[in-house]
Amino acid sequence: MQLTVNGESNEIHEIEVNLSKLLEMRKVESPEMVAVQLNGEFVDLKSYDTTYLKPGDDVEFLFFMGGGSR
Amino acid sequence: MTGFSTNAIHGIHSRRDIHGALRPPVYDSVAFEHNSAEDINQVFSGRKPAHAYSRITNPTVEEFENRIRLLSGGIAAIAVSSGMAAISNIILTLGGSGTNIVTSRHLFGNSLSLFEKTLKPWGLEARLVSMSYPQEVSSAIDNNTRGVFLETVTNPQLEVADIRAISEITAAKGIPLILDNTVTTPYLFRSKNFGANIEVLSSTKYISGGATSVGGLIIDNGNFNWNQSPRLADWAKQMGPMALLGALRREVYRNIGACLAPHHAYLHSLGLETMSLRIEKSCSNALSVARFLKQHDRVHAVNYPGLEESAYHKIAAKQFSNRFGGILTFTLQSRDECFALINSLKLIRRASNVNDNKTLILHPASTIFCEYTEEDLEKMGIGLNMIRLSVGIEDIDDILNDLERGFASL
Repeated sequence: MQLTVNGESNEIHEIEVNLSKLLEMRKVESPEMVAVQLNGEFVDLKSYDTTYLKPGDDVEFLFFMGGGSR
Repeated sequence: MTGFSTNAIHGIHSRRDIHGALRPPVYDSVAFEHNSAEDINQVFSGRKPAHAYSRITNPTVEEFENRIRLLSGGIAAIAVSSGMAAISNIILTLGGSGTNIVTSRHLFGNSLSLFEKTLKPWGLEARLVSMSYPQEVSSAIDNNTRGVFLETVTNPQLEVADIRAISEITAAKGIPLILDNTVTTPYLFRSKNFGANIEVLSSTKYISGGATSVGGLIIDNGNFNWNQSPRLADWAKQMGPMALLGALRREVYRNIGACLAPHHAYLHSLGLETMSLRIEKSCSNALSVARFLKQHDRVHAVNYPGLEESAYHKIAAKQFSNRFGGILTFTLQSRDECFALINSLKLIRRASNVNDNKTLILHPASTIFCEYTEEDLEKMGIGLNMIRLSVGIEDIDDILNDLERGFASL
């Protein structure tokens, strides 16, 4: 399925992918230190395992490094 | 689940060092390079986890922050340049003109000065209450209150508030409880378990390894709904529980610029590894010194929560697992006698710090509270005949002998 992750188009071959799996696929080392938005809505850390993605979803991972503004 | 000391030594497992070094190196670099303009844009917009500039994040500082996160049980930790920087950052993040902070009238002198002198002209009101009477906290909170701030043990009055009782009040009113845990640290007091929402510390003290370097910490315990905090509600919509971290890292902390130096972070991480041993020794020595002073005929009174006659003994024993910290105060006949004792000591050092490896002595009224009048000092519970002792980790007989020699010379 086609997803937009951090503004870039991504083809995901797995049929069922939840947010935890996507974080793992993106090799995020500390998933607990990332704020995740799905289609513009904040997703709580506790819901990563139960939040399954569907084609066309827009996922934003926000890391607290780097130094830009909101 | 591993214990405190094990976690302090091993930290959160991070990526393997390129050379297999067991102790991560010091990344004493200001800037970090990226492969392309697109890459650095992703880093700056927070979409890629990488360091860019050490005022904002740095690998050595991050390693220290991760260890603190593990030890405190918080969801986020930010290391800053000092304990005062930690307090300043958090108050500037939560408060503003026309708002107030409810705090203790018995605070560390510089913290009180920050509230009453530095921040007052910017429109922030400090409402001073006695934390020994939680009802006073409740009465002082109104719609403009943005936080309740207190110390686990006040310095140098050594009062110990009932943190759970105060946290029940702040939770009911939707106000964050900010706790200065400097003299107890997450080793003696896990503030999250008592309902505190934010912890600030001067890591200069116990954490740094016994005063090796200056630093501070802000810890978000992850147990406050930031939608309730007017300044953070907008951040909470985007980041949920990470709102405080976002507001600090991506605005206030970044803009204030009080970052921890990588070398200091390295020393603090090193200090953490032996912290539990040093705290145990310092607490045990302090109790012995308090008992020694209590029976001495030159001493009028001894104030130490570890003494059973202290009004705070029971609550301190409950909150700090029967350890009572390394600081005590005692009174002599006069200011002159205090000065004479301080001047007579050979081993104990005359210096302004606490929780050093060395035992340190100070006359609070003429040093850390010297900007206040005698009338102010009386209200703050700082007597002119009071001496503060921060008991270190030397052999106890040597500390007691030095004090005995000093008293004999009076």
